[in-house]
Amino acid sequence: MNGINGTKWILGLAAAMLAVGCAKKGDSASKDEMILCPYLPSRIQTLDPGNARDMYSMEVAAHIYEALYVYHYLKRPYEIIPLLAEDLPDISPDGLTYTIRIKKDVHFQDDACFLDGKGRELKASDFVYALKRIANVKYASQNWAPFDGKIVGLDDFREYTKGFKKQWDVDYSRPVEGLQAIDDYTLQIKLTRPWPQIVEIVLTDTSTTPIPHEAVDFYREDIIRHPVGTGPFKLKTLQPSCFVELVRNKNWRGESYPSEGEPSDKENGFLDDAGKPIPFADRIIWRVIEEDQPAWLLLMRGNIDAMDELRGIPKDNFDKAVTVERTLTQSLIERGLKLQIYNDPSIYWVGFNLKDPVLGKNLPLRKAICRAIDRNRFIDLFTNGRAMPAHGFVPPGLDSYDPDIVQSGYSKYDLAEAKQLLKQAEQIQGGAIPKLNLAMPGTDTLYRQYGQFFQRQFEQVGLELGIDYMDWPTYMERANKGQCQMFMNGIVAGCPDAIDFLEMFTTKSFAPGANKFFYSNPAYDALYDKVRVMQSSPERVEIYRTLEHMAMDDYPAVFILHRVAYTLGHDWYKNFKPQLYSHGLCKYRRVDVKQREEYPALLKKLEREGK
Amino acid sequence: MSETTTQQNEPVSRGYWSDAFRRLRRRKLAMVCFIIVLIYAAMAAFVGIVETETFKKIFKLDVPIVRWNEQVGPSYQKPMAQYDFKPEQSETKVKGWSLFGTDFLGESTLRKTLYGVKTSMLVAFCASIISIGIGVPLGALAGYYRGWVDETIVWFYTTLGTIPYILLLMAFAVALRGREFFGVEIRGAPAVYLAIGLTSWVGLCRLIRGEIIKRKESEYVLAARAMGCSDFRILFSHLLPNVFHIILINFSLRFVSFIHAEVILSFLGLGENDKPSWGAMIDAARTELARDVWWEMAAATAAIFLISLALNIFSDALRDCLDPKLRID
Amino acid sequence: MTAFIIRRLIYMIPIVFGVLLVTFVLFTVVGGDISQQIAGKNADQQTIDEIRHEYGFDKPLFLSWDSQFIDHFKRAVTFDFGRAMDRERISEKIRRGVGPSLMLTGPMFCGELIVAVSLALIIAFVRGTVWDVSAVVICVAGMSIPYLSFIIFGQYFFAYKLDWFPIIYLPEEPMIKSVGLPIVIGIIAGLGAELRFYRTIMLDEIRNDYVRTAFAKGLSTSRVLFKHVLKNAMIPIITNVVLALPTLILGSFLLERFFGIPGLGYLMIEAIGSRDFFIINAMTFIFSLLIVVFTLLTDICYALVDPRISFK
Repeated sequence: MNGINGTKWILGLAAAMLAVGCAKKGDSASKDEMILCPYLPSRIQTLDPGNARDMYSMEVAAHIYEALYVYHYLKRPYEIIPLLAEDLPDISPDGLTYTIRIKKDVHFQDDACFLDGKGRELKASDFVYALKRIANVKYASQNWAPFDGKIVGLDDFREYTKGFKKQWDVDYSRPVEGLQAIDDYTLQIKLTRPWPQIVEIVLTDTSTTPIPHEAVDFYREDIIRHPVGTGPFKLKTLQPSCFVELVRNKNWRGESYPSEGEPSDKENGFLDDAGKPIPFADRIIWRVIEEDQPAWLLLMRGNIDAMDELRGIPKDNFDKAVTVERTLTQSLIERGLKLQIYNDPSIYWVGFNLKDPVLGKNLPLRKAICRAIDRNRFIDLFTNGRAMPAHGFVPPGLDSYDPDIVQSGYSKYDLAEAKQLLKQAEQIQGGAIPKLNLAMPGTDTLYRQYGQFFQRQFEQVGLELGIDYMDWPTYMERANKGQCQMFMNGIVAGCPDAIDFLEMFTTKSFAPGANKFFYSNPAYDALYDKVRVMQSSPERVEIYRTLEHMAMDDYPAVFILHRVAYTLGHDWYKNFKPQLYSHGLCKYRRVDVKQREEYPALLKKLEREGK
Repeated sequence: MSETTTQQNEPVSRGYWSDAFRRLRRRKLAMVCFIIVLIYAAMAAFVGIVETETFKKIFKLDVPIVRWNEQVGPSYQKPMAQYDFKPEQSETKVKGWSLFGTDFLGESTLRKTLYGVKTSMLVAFCASIISIGIGVPLGALAGYYRGWVDETIVWFYTTLGTIPYILLLMAFAVALRGREFFGVEIRGAPAVYLAIGLTSWVGLCRLIRGEIIKRKESEYVLAARAMGCSDFRILFSHLLPNVFHIILINFSLRFVSFIHAEVILSFLGLGENDKPSWGAMIDAARTELARDVWWEMAAATAAIFLISLALNIFSDALRDCLDPKLRID
Repeated sequence: MTAFIIRRLIYMIPIVFGVLLVTFVLFTVVGGDISQQIAGKNADQQTIDEIRHEYGFDKPLFLSWDSQFIDHFKRAVTFDFGRAMDRERISEKIRRGVGPSLMLTGPMFCGELIVAVSLALIIAFVRGTVWDVSAVVICVAGMSIPYLSFIIFGQYFFAYKLDWFPIIYLPEEPMIKSVGLPIVIGIIAGLGAELRFYRTIMLDEIRNDYVRTAFAKGLSTSRVLFKHVLKNAMIPIITNVVLALPTLILGSFLLERFFGIPGLGYLMIEAIGSRDFFIINAMTFIFSLLIVVFTLLTDICYALVDPRISFK
């Protein structure tokens, strides 16, 4: 073996590898193409709408698949408008039958799964198929929960699918009474009892978007990588943990940019494009960037357009970005960035497991813990003040948010009272309170900091707290089995109705459902059963608030904060209006390509001036 | 290899160990390093002792290091900077000063670094013990009995040795984490040292087996056997003491890699989360550097650097003195 | 020769079986039932049971013809590792990750090898001098700094502060741009240990008689070093290289994680974060198999090269 030749060989190999790497990215796009560059803070799980439940998969999937209804992009309060439906549903007087007409001449994207490769026309039966698919036990969809017991005959269908070995074996032509395509363009849904939120919760959601059965049969389980929808964009490249590239669907039926909106939209320029055909962009490239710092830097360098709804400014960069007066700092203004602030309807809490022998029977103890947590300090420390202390669990922004709930003092920070309550708690416990345990759904630095914060807060009133840091799957498993004594968690509203928040405290939805607190109150359940079939009305708002108070009185959790979102976007990123409840908004957005091209020059200029 | 060197001007013959240590003592640098290692070990022991409830009760002493989670200042104070600070439950402001600065929650970086000594040394030490506890007996049995015992053990360690170490380590750590064994839940430091210990004995086992095979037929073993010693006795009181230097060298060399492994596992979220650890401190720097907060990472890196350097130099010297031909990669 | 190879091949069987046993014990017996986490956040018991059945978690562990171990065995032998928890084919994921991983570790490994071997030669030549001692000290010092610190500091300084490299993998740019910095960091961080290793090899070699003879013949230094010493030191170097090759495909998971390179190391870390035992299991098995094969190859090469090794 000759040494020198060996070295040469290795060098050659290295050179070859590099050459391959350079050659691979040859097909760059033409210059005047409009590319949107948003980013995702976490990887994409799936592009199969029937099983997508994480926010990021849904965000991408919603550009490819379309639902029946959608929230108006600009109007506030949020208004539902038809997307694939022709108009709003016809609801029978008893609120049980929904008849929905579907737009004609809507086509699926061209795909190899169709016989001639051309996308076929959308039919009502595609919706039926999508819903039955979610009901298929063998498909094990994460999206089944909201349908449970709601649609006539669908649960029987689910029962029927249990007899099969594989999801493919199920006969989808088996009729379900409550789910029928009356003709090609009419869908009828029959409910077992009124479900006033069906449109908000389900029919605007990506889970019910129509999917051609040809695609599912053709790609089988690989449907997660081969989406075939009706939307304005098609998938080009998918690297789930790295980037996703969508290109414009040339055969899309077309839509125009809304020409009505809030009064302030005019001055903010959100109506500049009114009436123009959408989508504007030819391509969308999402970078998946899990770390805060690189994302922030890419934004500063103009590689990504905005820190949008999905994640705001990283806490460690906040001081450099935003001043005490809540405006952008001078250096960011010079770079042409724009800040928008709005309430993110969310609630974060430290929950108590009421099945736990120590916490469950000890109301004064739970109350004492609630008094011992300094929410304002938490907000200052971890969110740079980008949150409101939570006094109840229904977040502001929803119509049933009760601005007066602060007077009930559920979230008072009062160490003296906490200590007094602890004395009572010790009597109930019959001795000192043992060490408590808090489960954290993460193991990284941020969670460690949370953990230490709470430890210190508990210490102030003489309680000992242990923290269990675990990865998300372990956390979920334990919480569902009721093995966590206390746990940190939070949810974000998926629609403007608070019903999801109220459902968390019903006995029916005990874990593995949404009620990880194991809170059970017959009076609450009865009232909830009454209210959930009610149509929106002032009376319903009243009952919602009563329910919130009922649950709050039992202190099932330390409710900590509602987030306030700060989004940051470049000036060239037009029509960037935050919209909370819909995904798939990139079709409205536009990039001023010229302005973006000038950005590097602007940066250089600022650098020369020493800024 | 029990050599007894005699030198011209010193007619007294010395034993293997005393000779080796005499040579070791002559190496100034190695001795300095040894002292550093001892200081780290003492520090770890000290933290471990003052942390216990009994100690707190008996001596009524409250050592600051144990209160690592106390807030000593505002968050992210620079090292050696003066600051005004209002402790949580008092009304008045006090002037503060911190040698290594403070972290996000206003905790002292110095205390955390010092406490990290314990976490790190405990993990490395326990992992070494587990590793030796498995590797040495298995290697000795395999080398001594040969036959099917040998084949089984060789098969077992070849199997483990075939799996890339880092994969094996991560796989063990992730599978062990949060599981219960005999009613004890494994998490934090024990999860780390179990994972490291259970995966790292292969090299040692292979070495010991080789040495035992070499020495099995040597005269002192034959003599012992002739005197009717039991196998057990031959193994443990004759053979093992003669390979003890290998264990020692291995121990000191592996120790460093265990400390580094702990850092990586902590970064992956598989390590100690509850107590300060160097891995966690370095991990925190990922976001902190954006704020120009460099001291937390610097302190932890320096702490690791010092102990690793000392151990590396010392174990090299140790190897040179005990068995220059031995090669452990 | 054929008999030798066949014997070695047969010898592989218990090793592969052992690897299967270890992964099975780790992920099925110790790791436990993960049907709940597959089912998602608010799943009902029905779905969970369904998944348990689908994945065969309700079967007996061993001791049955239809046990989980037999399934595990079948999957591995047929190389059909099924689907990960996000329902994507594992083989697909792995195939996708090989390229980026190689792009990173290939040049890194070669660069490091070249630098380390040439430096080792030079050091071996100046052995015993101040240069040698300081080089060893620097090596040891380099080995003593944690890998993570190298990466975090390198990324911060060269990418954030100086802006010489992209901070994170840019899919739209040529790959070489994105892997530049991680390659440099990887080489620097690993150099200490490598250099020390090759220095020992070179020293062993340079003490040999033939080197003295070569010098005595009046050959030039570079000729002795590169022609004779390097040639003879090739065998340990190549062994080291060949055995390191399978791990190359695995990539350097820390570097991939920090620079967002979608290789196999990244996949592994993701799988750990989401406790996706299917992926970890498949990766462990595949890499063990690669190592077994590469070990076999080295053995055969040895046998071919070295006449002292008999085929019996």
